[in-house]
Amino acid sequence: VSRCLSDEALERGLAELASVAERAHLSGCAACTARHRQIRAELALITGVLRDTPEPRTRAVPTRRRWVPATMALAAVAAALLIWVEVAVWRAVTPVPPTMQPQEVAAILSDVSAALFSVSGDPPIAPAEDPHPSLEVMAQELDRALTGGEP
Amino acid sequence: VEPAPRQDLLVTAHYGRLQRLCRLLLGDPQEADDVVQEVFLKAHEAEQLGRAPTNWGAWLTRVAVNGCRDRHRAGGWVRFRLRGARLDEVPLVALTPAPSDVAIGEDTRRRIWTAFRALPRRQQEVFALRHIEEQPTLAVAEALGLSPGSVKRHLFRAMRALRSRLGDAR
Repeated sequence: VSRCLSDEALERGLAELASVAERAHLSGCAACTARHRQIRAELALITGVLRDTPEPRTRAVPTRRRWVPATMALAAVAAALLIWVEVAVWRAVTPVPPTMQPQEVAAILSDVSAALFSVSGDPPIAPAEDPHPSLEVMAQELDRALTGGEP
Repeated sequence: VEPAPRQDLLVTAHYGRLQRLCRLLLGDPQEADDVVQEVFLKAHEAEQLGRAPTNWGAWLTRVAVNGCRDRHRAGGWVRFRLRGARLDEVPLVALTPAPSDVAIGEDTRRRIWTAFRALPRRQQEVFALRHIEEQPTLAVAEALGLSPGSVKRHLFRAMRALRSRLGDAR
């Protein structure tokens, strides 16, 4: 006595995929034949509904309402991404300018000035007295000599 | 080659069948009607160009299925937006249910339609042509461009999935 067929085997039979042995069993087994008939009835019910009854209509939710939270969430994510790029990424790759005290700035400027106006690399010598004084200076000296420094 | 029938004879013989098939495959009566119109337009063109098929029924079915597939591809985004937006049923054409609806039961009807819509598209096509249109396996294979064995396997999976989902609901 062979074992009865499973539901899957009976469905295979309805799809014309049953083996010879399964078909032979089905033709000789009253229990399997009854279950086979039941499955066919269920399929007939399904077919009848799909063929003869309209598909249940449904009401669609206005899509705009579903877009609002999605758009807001997207905007929030974009803003968070921008902030993160600014804080974590951009500052990491950009060197921070050093902050200097005024004395350091003055020292650097004097070094630069010395280097710019130096001929041999040494700081420039303070200028000596002008070997060719102007007429005004010569007049003042002469005046001092004649008056003894008195006004 | 059979003589090309007049357009109105083709429409009379196949319009209702194709409309039902397209509505089943698309789930949108308006879109289904558009596809059926396009199918008969193509039939008219084929007739005018002397490319009448040997089997108008199979040809029309194949063109209709392809038209539904094109609609599915073209309207994927629209369908995606409306997915999950189905809430509750709206009263249908009549305020009082038809006797068949009463006999079957509203809940069962809804579950069957939901189970069918949950099937992969290919399985929907095979089930619709094989069971609703009652076409033989070879004709279904020809209409869908599949091998007969593939049609049988799709049909088996469709039946199993439908019964399984309905069984879960019971």
